[in-house]
Amino acid sequence: MKVTVAMLSVLTGFFLLVGIVYGIWSDGEAVGLGALLLCAGLTGMIAFYLGVADRRGGPIPEDDPYGEIADGAGEQGVFAPWSWWPLVLALGAAISFAALAIGWWVMVIGAAVGIIGLIGWVFEYSRGIHAH
Amino acid sequence: MAVHLDPTVSAAPVRRRSLGSQVIRWVTSTDHKTIGYMYLITSFVFFMIAGLMALLIRAELFEPGMQLVSKDQYNQLFTMHGTIMLLLFATPLFAGFANIIMPLQIGAPDVAFPRLNMFAYWLYLFGGLIAVSGFLTPAGAASFGWFAYAPLSNAVNSPGLGGDLWVFGLALGGFGTILGAVNFITTILTMRAPGMTMFRMPIFTWNTLVTSLLILMAFPPLAAALFALGADRRLGAQVFNAENGGAILWQHLFWFFGHPEVYIIALPFFGIVTEILPVFARKPIFGYKGLIYATIAIGALSVTVWAHHMYVTGAVLLPFFALMTMLIAVPTGVKYFNWIGTIWRGAITFETPMLWAIGFLVSFLFGGLTGVILASPALDFHVSDTYFVVAHFHYVVFGTVVFAMFAGFYFWWPKFTGKMLNERLGKVHFWLLFVGFHTTFLIQHWLGVEGMPRRYADYMPEDGFTFFNQVSTVGAFLLAGSTLPFLWNVYITTKRAPKVTVDDPWGYGASLEWATSCPPPRHNFTSLPRIRSERPAFDLHHPEVAAMDHVEPDPGVLDWEADRRGEQVGARDASANGESQPEQSSTIIVDDMPQTDADDAGEDKR
Repeated sequence: MKVTVAMLSVLTGFFLLVGIVYGIWSDGEAVGLGALLLCAGLTGMIAFYLGVADRRGGPIPEDDPYGEIADGAGEQGVFAPWSWWPLVLALGAAISFAALAIGWWVMVIGAAVGIIGLIGWVFEYSRGIHAH
Repeated sequence: MAVHLDPTVSAAPVRRRSLGSQVIRWVTSTDHKTIGYMYLITSFVFFMIAGLMALLIRAELFEPGMQLVSKDQYNQLFTMHGTIMLLLFATPLFAGFANIIMPLQIGAPDVAFPRLNMFAYWLYLFGGLIAVSGFLTPAGAASFGWFAYAPLSNAVNSPGLGGDLWVFGLALGGFGTILGAVNFITTILTMRAPGMTMFRMPIFTWNTLVTSLLILMAFPPLAAALFALGADRRLGAQVFNAENGGAILWQHLFWFFGHPEVYIIALPFFGIVTEILPVFARKPIFGYKGLIYATIAIGALSVTVWAHHMYVTGAVLLPFFALMTMLIAVPTGVKYFNWIGTIWRGAITFETPMLWAIGFLVSFLFGGLTGVILASPALDFHVSDTYFVVAHFHYVVFGTVVFAMFAGFYFWWPKFTGKMLNERLGKVHFWLLFVGFHTTFLIQHWLGVEGMPRRYADYMPEDGFTFFNQVSTVGAFLLAGSTLPFLWNVYITTKRAPKVTVDDPWGYGASLEWATSCPPPRHNFTSLPRIRSERPAFDLHHPEVAAMDHVEPDPGVLDWEADRRGEQVGARDASANGESQPEQSSTIIVDDMPQTDADDAGEDKR
C-alpha cells in the first residue's frame, strides 16, 4: 500500500498546487478552481484512508516482494456465482432515467422496478439457504 | 499444462447448451470474463453503427450540394457519430478489455464486486440504447453536436425528445462507467496475488488503475453538467442561461470532463500496445518504471488542460493552458522513447498483433505532433473548428483506440476463445484499414488549413474543397470495408480453427494471463506461479532465462530494468522437480487452414 499512498499523495500535492496557481492567475475562475481542488480532495481522501488501513492492518502479502502464493490462502471473499438483480435494478434505473426525458408517469414504473431490484439485491444473500 | 480438477470448470469438450440456457447464463453472469465479452461485443456493435453514420457523412460530403440526407439529419449524424464513438464505443471498450485482462494479470479469481460489475454493464447498455433511441422519435436524435454547447442545446434552440433522451441516456451510462472504475480500483488495490507488488504489475493493469482514477475525476462533472442541462430542458431551470454566462459555464464543465476523457480512452490502449511490443520483440519492457511514472504524469496533467478546447472563446487563460498542454507532450514522448527502446535491436517478428501495434505507433505519432501545433493559441486560432482539428483528433483517437483494439483482439483472441485468428486475413485487414485510414484523414489536415469548417453539411464548388473531399470519402469506404475481412476472420476461425492447447501460444507472453489455460476456467487459475518479476509467466515458461537474473526487492525509484540474477537456485530446483513449464511456442499460428485441422475442430460442434 505504501506505493499507492505515495502516488496518491503526490497527485494530491500536484492538484493543490495547480489549483492554487490557476485560481490566482485566472482571478478565481470558479469551475476550474473548484474542480481541481475537488480532485485534490478525492486523491487526498483515498491516500489518507489507505494510509490508515495500511498502518492498522500491517503489510499485506501482495506487497511482499518475496511473497508466496500460499501466503494469500484462505477465504477470498464472497462472490455471487450468478445473479438476476443487477439486470432488474438497472432496468429500474433505466426506466427512471428515461422517465426524466419522457414524462413523470413513467417514473412510477421505474421506481417500482427499482425498489424490487434494490430489495432483491440487498437481501439476495440474506434469505433462503443464505439466511443467517 | 494445468489439470482441471474442478468439475464446474468448463474445460476441454464443451457440451452444447441450448440457446435459452446460454442466454440466461450470460444475462445473469457475474464472471468478469463473460461481462468483459459482453462489453466488447456491445461496444463493437456500436462501433459499426457509428462507422456507418460516418460513411453517410462522408458520402454527403463527396460533392457540393445536398444529395443523401437533409441538413438536420446531417447534424444528427455527426452528433450521434461523436457521441457513440466516444461514450458508447471507446469508453466501454476500455471496460471490456480491463474486465477480461486485468484480473488475470494480477492473479485474481474475479473482480472485487462481481454484481456491481454486471450492474455497470447494464447501465451502459440501457443508457446507450436510450441515447440512441432518439433516432426513433419524430424529430430525430440530438443534433447539437456531441459537446452540446449551451445555449444551442437548450429547449428553445433544440427542442424535441431526441435531445432529452441523449442527455439522460448519457447520464445513466456515465454512472455505469463510474461504478466500473470503482470496481477496477478496488480490485487492483486489494486482490493481487501475493508477490504481485505494485511495481510488478503489468503496464496494462497500471494504466487501468490510472484510467479508473481519471474516470472518478472526469465523469462526475459530466453527470452534474448533464443533470443541470436536463433541468434546463425539462424543468425550465436557468443554469446555462446565456445571460448569466451559461455558455462558458457549460464549456468549462463539459471540457473538464471532455479532455480527461481523451486520456481515459487513450491510456488503456497505450497499455495494450505496451503488452504486445515486448512479446514480439522478445525483450523486456525498456524502462518499466519510467513508463509508469509517465502514465501517472499524463493522468495528472490531463486534468489541467481542459480549456485548450476553448481558446477561441477569448474567455480563458491562454498562457496557462498552452503551457500545460505542451507539458503533456513530455511524458507522451517518454512513452515513445520506452516503446522504441523496447523494440530496439529486439528479435522482432510481425505477427498481426505486432503489426497493429506498430500501426498505432505511426498513426498516433501524427496525432501527437498536430496536437502540439494546436496547443499553441496563435496557430489554433487559424485552424480551430476546421477539418484540421477533425484530422488531428481522428489520428489521436482512431490511431489509439482502433489500432490498439485490433492489436488486443488479435493478441488475446486465443485467451478469449481458445482459437487463434487467421494471420493472413489479419494482415489483409490491417493493410486495408491502414491505407483507408490515412487516405481518409491525412488529407483533411490540408482541407482544414485551407479553411473548410467542420460540421458543415455542404460546401460550394468555388471553395475548391471538392477533390480533397472525394479522396477522403473514397478512403472512408476503404476503411469501412476493412471490417469485412475481420468479421469473416472471426466467423471462419470460430468454425474451423483448431483449439489452442497451450497456455501461451505466442511463446513469449510475460504477464499472468499467459499462465492459465485458453480460455481460462471460471475463477481464472488452477495454479499460480511464484511471482518474482514483472514477467511471471515468462519466468515460468523460460526458467533458463530467469536463472540468469535475480530479484532485487527494493531497486530504488528509478530501476530501469528488472534485475533477476540470483534465482539460479530456484530455477534449478524448478527444472529438477519439473515445476517449470516447457517453453511454449507459436507453432499453432494458422496461416492456411488444412482440412484435417478443421475436422479436429469439428468435435466442438457436438
